Amino acid sequence: MEDRIALRIDEITKEFPGVRALDKVSFEINAGTVHALIGENGAGKSTLIKILAGIYMPDGGRILIDGEEKHFKSPGEAQAAGISVVHQEIKLAEPLTVAENIFLGRLLYTRLGLVDWKGMYRASREMIEGLGMDIPVDTPVERLTVAKKQIVEICKAIHRKSRILIMDEPSATLTEKELKVLFHIVRKLRKEGYTIIYISHRLDEIFDLADDITVLRDGRHIRTTPIGDITREELISLMVGREMGNEFPKEFYPVGEPILEVSHLSTKGFLKDISFQVKKGEVLGISGLVGAGRTELARAILGIDRVESGEILYKGEKGNWKNFRKSINAGLGLVPEDRKLQGLVQIFSVKENICMVAADKVIEKGIIRDKKKEEYGRAYINMLNVATPGTETEVQYLSGGNQQKVVIAKWLMQDSELLFLDEPTRGIDVGAKVEIYKLINKLVKEGKTIIMISSEMPELLGMCDRILVMHEGRLMGELSREEASQERIMEMCV
Amino acid sequence: MNVTWDPKKALWKASKEYMVIFAILILGIVFSIASPYFLTINNMTNILLQATTLSVVAIGQAMVLLTGQMDLSLGQNVCLTGYIMAYLMNILEWNPWVAILAGLLTACMVGAVNGFLFAYCKIPAFIVTLGMQNICKGAAKLITNATPISRLPDEIAFFGRGYLWDAIPISVLIMLFLYVIIQFVSVKTKIGRQFYAVGGNSEAAFFAGINKKAVYLVAFTLAGLFAGISSVILISRLNSANVTNGNLYEFDAMISCVIGGISMTGGKGKVVSSLFGAVFLILFFNGMTMLNVDPFFQDVLKGMVLIAAIGIDVLRNRQKQA
Repeated sequence: MEDRIALRIDEITKEFPGVRALDKVSFEINAGTVHALIGENGAGKSTLIKILAGIYMPDGGRILIDGEEKHFKSPGEAQAAGISVVHQEIKLAEPLTVAENIFLGRLLYTRLGLVDWKGMYRASREMIEGLGMDIPVDTPVERLTVAKKQIVEICKAIHRKSRILIMDEPSATLTEKELKVLFHIVRKLRKEGYTIIYISHRLDEIFDLADDITVLRDGRHIRTTPIGDITREELISLMVGREMGNEFPKEFYPVGEPILEVSHLSTKGFLKDISFQVKKGEVLGISGLVGAGRTELARAILGIDRVESGEILYKGEKGNWKNFRKSINAGLGLVPEDRKLQGLVQIFSVKENICMVAADKVIEKGIIRDKKKEEYGRAYINMLNVATPGTETEVQYLSGGNQQKVVIAKWLMQDSELLFLDEPTRGIDVGAKVEIYKLINKLVKEGKTIIMISSEMPELLGMCDRILVMHEGRLMGELSREEASQERIMEMCV
Repeated sequence: MNVTWDPKKALWKASKEYMVIFAILILGIVFSIASPYFLTINNMTNILLQATTLSVVAIGQAMVLLTGQMDLSLGQNVCLTGYIMAYLMNILEWNPWVAILAGLLTACMVGAVNGFLFAYCKIPAFIVTLGMQNICKGAAKLITNATPISRLPDEIAFFGRGYLWDAIPISVLIMLFLYVIIQFVSVKTKIGRQFYAVGGNSEAAFFAGINKKAVYLVAFTLAGLFAGISSVILISRLNSANVTNGNLYEFDAMISCVIGGISMTGGKGKVVSSLFGAVFLILFFNGMTMLNVDPFFQDVLKGMVLIAAIGIDVLRNRQKQA
């Protein structure tokens, strides 16, 4: 393979009011390679992608594609120049069929000027089969899994004759199995000569997949290097800008009596005969593929979904709660998996969000006391080190890691003793992840109990005392910290 | 409280928040110069009275809008409960107070049914309340075959025609009193904040342990209650229940709220600002009439005001995102 430069980024600068998001960033991407782009949140990755995709216009600098200078004024122009983006939050017309989505905006027509469905179905099928996949092309996209939607996005890019494909955290919501498929596709595309810019927070997959890597930090270009020339530790310290120490700072505290005992729990059409227990002060992990029923198990226990049969004992008392509020009052809590949609009211201030669960604590004689709200808000911001200009700032302006701290703060204020954390570190950067882990340590130290649901096996292996493995609504087994390994979990959940 | 307080920014924010009040003042000055009949005590009282019945409905609409929904049945709810109260008082000769109580209960029921069908049966609010609008309209006409019921008992006259010290209309005082209460409730009580939370993000509210279905039910029921209160004032002022009572109030109330800065997407705005929106709206059309603008053209204008107000709301939200 010749070393041709597909894309040169030359002194790109972009400013927003008050911040310089990109500061004279320059690097080159070789044609036909997978080029990983990494950096913490706020490093400037998203801004750079948006410039490449024609969504933002840079304040300075140039982009050269195959040596030719380009200035995109719209996403259409970027696409015409051969750049396509597979966004993290996939943007497809959900009710339309797979084929229509692939051809969106450039449908095929017959000689009579009518839509050529047959031709589109055939072409889409060929494209999908070309990637070694099998997706029915006449299905509405809304019925597909996230993984399959990504493939549709990739086909769309191929159809548009893109040569450069930007994949923005494609793995964030995939299971291990789906991830393998994605890797396979990425490698296949590389073989066919596509250039792929791959953004991810997961270092494992970057070492697995990428040829070269570029690190950004605080809007600056830090380093571009072949992946073989850098170690994992070096990479982390380049990203964070300091020595990181342990990625999983697990601490051990004595474990008490069982606090929650679930026996023969079933829900209509989903969970089947699930029994387990958690001890006070324990960190229990729940592993499994997406769709295995992990979130559903939490919902059933918490009284959100109806339990058909089985018993939940909490502190020795029957706890089959009728609704979520009742389980909250009993001492349980949930940090939901979708921070943006389920965790926070984005247009509310930090303190307003913090006080949402334990609202009664700021109410005296039926009236909300602003002073108390402010006090609580400030206390938890300090306790959790939330980086925010103040208690009045709307949470939408905080970074992912800080937003997650606000969600956790809600439950700290409620004094929840048993906390479900559903994908607590999804989409947040390495530094903030470690802070969340330290927070878990702190909670456990105070005698609280954590049940952590996660698709990221390293974090379960690193932080949990015990791991339950689920598959298709059933509990497949349980592994102690000593027994557990990625391989053993995988064996159990497929 | 932020660390720095920037007077320029604060002024800008205030000017945005109180834009309606400036608009009202400017409009007032323009009309006063253009028409000699505009700035008279008689006309001012008239504007205030008209704004009163509308803004009481707007309070209810504001609460529903805060939860991110809308209620299209409010206008016809005003009409129906007016008929029910008048029918009970005049035709069945019930005690007027009992009749009013029955009317308010009906109004609440209409709201509660809206809320129930929306929150618990998951039928879109737009459809439920549009359907309810027609049900109320038809039911009101069925009661008396669409003929008005006039000359209501003297006991209820003070609601719409009474004055304090021969100067201040009782109805205006009632309206102001309701605004004070609801503004307080919306900011300082749990249920008030729950309106905002559910409108801001219903999922997040649910995952914070808020019973969002109950919140919707309360909002729609209260909206019904306020339609009922407005109806009491209206039949008292007009001394009659008739089919045009409350006509298009739901839309006018919505325009009032949006002009006042309450967002159609929910979770944003102040209840009290709908009062200024209502005054603006009434003032605007009163002035138009004074200037002899064709009433049909006024309808065209009203449609344009609605679209413009919502357009501004959309723009405001877009600015936030950028």
